[in-house]
Amino acid sequence: MIVEISHFLSILSTALFFLAGSFALTLKNTTYISNLISRTYSHAFLLLSLSFFIYIFLAITDNFSVQYIANHSNSALPVFYKISSIWSAHEGSMFLWIFFLALWGFIFNISIYNEETLKPKTIGIISLVLVGFLLFLLITSNPFVTILPIAPLNGADINPVLQDPALAIHPPTLYLGYVGFVIPFACSLAFLINNDPAIKWEILVQKWSVAAWIFLTVGITLGSWWAYYELGWGGYWFWDPVENVALMPWLAATAFLHSLSVSIKSSHLRTWTILLSITVFSLSLFGAFIVRSGIIDSVHSFANDPQRGLYLLAFISVIILISLSLFISRLSLIGTPNNIKTLSKESFISINNIFFGTLIFSIMLGVIYPLIYEYLYDQKISVGAPFYNAIFIPIVILAAIFLFFSIDSKWSRVINLKFFSKPISLSILFSLAVTLLIFINIEKVSIFILCSIFAGLLIIFRYLIEIWNAFAYKKYLNPFSAIAHFALGLLLVSISLNSLLSSERALNIKINEFEQYKDLKIYFTDLGVNKGSNYDSVQAKFYIEDQNGNSFNLNPEKRRYFTRGQITTETAIYVSPIRDVYLTIGDQLEDGSWIVNIQINFLIRWIWFSACLMALAGVVLILSKRKV
Amino acid sequence: MNPIRKKRLSSILFVFLFSVSGVSLILYSLNSNLDYFFTPTELKKVQMPPNKRIKIGGMVLEDSVKRNTSKISFTITDYENSVIVVFEGIVPDLFKEGSGVVALGYLDNEIFYAKEVLAKHDENYMPPNLDIKQ
Repeated sequence: MIVEISHFLSILSTALFFLAGSFALTLKNTTYISNLISRTYSHAFLLLSLSFFIYIFLAITDNFSVQYIANHSNSALPVFYKISSIWSAHEGSMFLWIFFLALWGFIFNISIYNEETLKPKTIGIISLVLVGFLLFLLITSNPFVTILPIAPLNGADINPVLQDPALAIHPPTLYLGYVGFVIPFACSLAFLINNDPAIKWEILVQKWSVAAWIFLTVGITLGSWWAYYELGWGGYWFWDPVENVALMPWLAATAFLHSLSVSIKSSHLRTWTILLSITVFSLSLFGAFIVRSGIIDSVHSFANDPQRGLYLLAFISVIILISLSLFISRLSLIGTPNNIKTLSKESFISINNIFFGTLIFSIMLGVIYPLIYEYLYDQKISVGAPFYNAIFIPIVILAAIFLFFSIDSKWSRVINLKFFSKPISLSILFSLAVTLLIFINIEKVSIFILCSIFAGLLIIFRYLIEIWNAFAYKKYLNPFSAIAHFALGLLLVSISLNSLLSSERALNIKINEFEQYKDLKIYFTDLGVNKGSNYDSVQAKFYIEDQNGNSFNLNPEKRRYFTRGQITTETAIYVSPIRDVYLTIGDQLEDGSWIVNIQINFLIRWIWFSACLMALAGVVLILSKRKV
Repeated sequence: MNPIRKKRLSSILFVFLFSVSGVSLILYSLNSNLDYFFTPTELKKVQMPPNKRIKIGGMVLEDSVKRNTSKISFTITDYENSVIVVFEGIVPDLFKEGSGVVALGYLDNEIFYAKEVLAKHDENYMPPNLDIKQ
């Protein structure tokens, strides 16, 4: 009964969103109409959120007459996982996705004055996007379907690998990032429709875009961390198609934020900025299509359903077609006043846009090439890490070097860049020294890794000097740019050193014996059987000692969950700033010994730390009062 | 041609050549880094150089899993043909006899040396090209 109310409310909100959208596109922009659109949107949002919260309530109260809840939740689950079970599969996660989309629009709606010229159209476009996705939800993936007349006594349980705090927050954060880019998208379209180049839509959307970018950054980082410790993948990035479709919008968004800052400072690159705002949102939608259509095999993808894929593909194509034709028809409107001066900050950011474009294009090719290839040659292929490494490593190194020299450049001015000024030569010297040190101390270093370490160090040292100058001589420093780029340097260095130093090995150990791996002595001390609330587990106990006499215990587990009979591996990780020791247990062999996989992952925490630092830079930008 | 047009033409040519060479570089590296996917039957039909990284997929044959020291060997089958796979390391949780598996590695003398063994994190997962049978 309650589920019908929730269902009805979401249908009603769809109708109201449609009203808001059609008002915005058909009626003349007056104060009265602007207020009307704003209120209609807020009411529609109110209905949708009511519907969503009722759905959460149904999940908490174990209402298994709702098919989706019956299939993905269980009364034995803690409340926290009952809620997160909503986004553990397609229908519910789509519902959450839509709710977040509407939420961004709502916050935008209440925090921007109705007098803002672009507001009614922006809200209208967001409403129409919402209508499209709500119809998708209601027609092809209805989460409100009930099992009548007899509801099952208990639910089928959430997939055990999803019973994890990081996973409970990873999808919502990521979705908040994806859909947040609807604000710059809708605003740039509103700007194009409005046909008045004097309006600075870029300033209006900057902080909104940065906010969405922060969520996307944190969401991707959480996903990477979760795959590392919960899935037992033992690494931070796998070039899985679903990781790639999250990385593409992130790269596009990063390029967009750079381009946006140019457009705000000097009204250059305005065309680029608009094109990028459309690209970011389209790539977010493309990601939703890839994950939800099941067209590509991935560990993340939801069940295969051609009807869903077709609807999404059609809807996304319509959005992209409309926005691109609008963009092309208004190209002349937004022409830039004069050419960009060589070696100005704008010129460096233009080059940066080309780098980002190449990276996005390559990933896109890697994601869709298997589809094209299979269609043409009837041969299944997959594109793995070697391809992405071959593209990313040289481009990122090149981009880092450009960034290094761009730090001294100024907005819209040709200044005589001194390529061997004191800070530049000092940072080159320091970086060379450190790189040389690494080269001497570690055998078998590839030239590419050395180059990327060097490039990362260049950025780090250069910004350290800038920060020193800012404190000692009160030299101006743009804090967000400094933090974000410093984090990039750190990311480069930690990724390179991680791939250089990390190693793994499968060992056979019997109870009460030990094995030596690198500098570690691994004692297998005990094996116990435990009983959890909804699983049985075998827990192995290890005592590990390194050559300096430091010691620690690691207890990896293997669990069997009752309801699904699924077996999961619980990793045991010893965390330290320099390296992680990462243990998983496999099967028992006939001679009684156990297979134990040991990984030593160097600096892997620093990779996630750098990503968080980037997100922090975004927070600093949002909190700053100055226009950037 | 007047100088402005000449300049414009040369810049268009430059951009064109630049992007064509860029795209062909990317395509080249893409083509040299592809992993072909085969079922055991498809593998029988093609001649595979031993240093070519490929993926094979199928079901793990019942009673074929043997473990000794840290190596595990098993047979991937599509119930018409089969391939023996040798792998060093821990197989994924969902790896079991009679269920679907994908292995990435190199074929040498009819034996497949896997570098990675994947079973999807979904108990209903079927490797591609096998979903009709069973």
